[in-house]
Amino acid sequence: MSGRWKLWMAPAAVLAVGLASVPAADLYYQSSWGTGCARCHEIGIDYDRWRHATHRNINCVECHAGSLQKDLRRVEAHMAGTVPDQVHLGPQDIFDMLPRCRKCHEQEFAEWASGAHSTTYARIFTDSDRNRKQLLMDDCFRCHGMHFEGGIKDLVEPVNTVGPWRLKDPSYANLPAIPCMACHSIHREGAPLVKPRERVSAQEEIVRPSVGLFDRRTRMNVSAAILPLPAIYEGARPVRISSDQRQALCYQCHAPLATMQAGSGDDRTPLGIHEGLSCLACHEQHGEATRQSCADCHPRLSNCGIDVEKMDTTFRNPKSAHNIHTAKCLDCHPKGVPKKAAAHESSILH
Amino acid sequence: MNVSRTRRTFLGAAAAAAISGAAGCGGARGTTWRVFSGHEARTLDALLEWIIPEDDSPGARGAGVSHYIDRQLSTHFREHRQAYRDGLAATDRLAGGDFAGAPRKQQQAALRKLQRDPATRPFFNLLVPHAMQGFYGNPRHGGNRDFASWRMLGVPPLPVRGRSQYDLTAGGGNAKS
Repeated sequence: MSGRWKLWMAPAAVLAVGLASVPAADLYYQSSWGTGCARCHEIGIDYDRWRHATHRNINCVECHAGSLQKDLRRVEAHMAGTVPDQVHLGPQDIFDMLPRCRKCHEQEFAEWASGAHSTTYARIFTDSDRNRKQLLMDDCFRCHGMHFEGGIKDLVEPVNTVGPWRLKDPSYANLPAIPCMACHSIHREGAPLVKPRERVSAQEEIVRPSVGLFDRRTRMNVSAAILPLPAIYEGARPVRISSDQRQALCYQCHAPLATMQAGSGDDRTPLGIHEGLSCLACHEQHGEATRQSCADCHPRLSNCGIDVEKMDTTFRNPKSAHNIHTAKCLDCHPKGVPKKAAAHESSILH
Repeated sequence: MNVSRTRRTFLGAAAAAAISGAAGCGGARGTTWRVFSGHEARTLDALLEWIIPEDDSPGARGAGVSHYIDRQLSTHFREHRQAYRDGLAATDRLAGGDFAGAPRKQQQAALRKLQRDPATRPFFNLLVPHAMQGFYGNPRHGGNRDFASWRMLGVPPLPVRGRSQYDLTAGGGNAKS
């Protein structure tokens, strides 16, 4: 072999080994079902949680097959000992996971995609009607774009009420501002769903263990089971709210101001005829659809003999003066509630 | 099944040596500790449980305080690694070799010595504030698992707090409601 060939052989061999290591690594991590991943101690806790999570039967690489560039950066951090205090998924990892969620949860994904919560970064942060009235602020990220890493100035410019507003990184425009992981923790401890031998309603699970709000400060999903249900008031009167723990998740973003007055801030607590109902009594979980909600509880006709779905409320017409969340008997009976209806209202309220 | 699966497993295993070697990932499979050995972690857990014992809410062990310390020793508290190694070894010695496995009375006596002996007191004085940080601090740093201490105190993990829907074009920043 000539000297020139020998000169080329060494780098060629290194290159070949390097290239071969990529599919080999992929194969290794696929076949080891997490134990290979967990050799890196910094993700040991996450691995351990996954082993006890509802998604324990889904291989790591099903959700975490990242790009080579990202993987190499992780290896570099591991080797250099610069692993962050808290290992977590970056925004791109979150967006990359959505099609993987969809693969198994097609119906839920379709409902989410057709509902209000699949809104995009562009719609939320460059809405000129809203931005003219209110200043954008970091606190927006509490409920929208919670996985974005940076402050509002890193996402939108200008941060004022004049505009025109644009996203600094246009690739965010059509990305979801409230992705699946805003409300679901994939590694949360819990058992996969199983068919019970005997159906006993009182023993059924109320909320999947994975449900919990992603909190930017802790960079983790806080389980809906430990989120607080607020005390809400109408003036000085305590409002009865449903004890449905699932709606604690809703209250995190659809929350009243510090005065805890119903209807303040983004609060949607039902008052009047619907007081005491849970958000989920009317809103479907992923798409928030409410079309079926009246028929779930009402006989077709109200006490007055009018079809409840045809009454003048925001259920029928969003521009109606009678908000379905706060409609009261007096809205339709301004001269006083007829005796029968008054007795009915009294029984509802007390 | 098995042929392809076996071949795949074999290829994977063959590649593993090269890759894990290259990545320096030769550690114990599935361990959750970054700095401590399994034995050190066990000793630390037992020690911490004396400082913050479990009652009707989780103690230091349940709140994952040792994970907080382990994680910080791998990042911000690097300079304390040796102090922990020496301190945990001393704790074991004072309890006759294995603090975690010793009877409770023996553990208590060892803890007293650890606290009073001038040679080991600095470790104890280092451990207590770290235990408090891990128990009461934000869970993002590795401790206070599932907000155990905040829930004990009645502090909601995430308070319900709304945002004023003000309109600057309508005469200032007054909230609508």
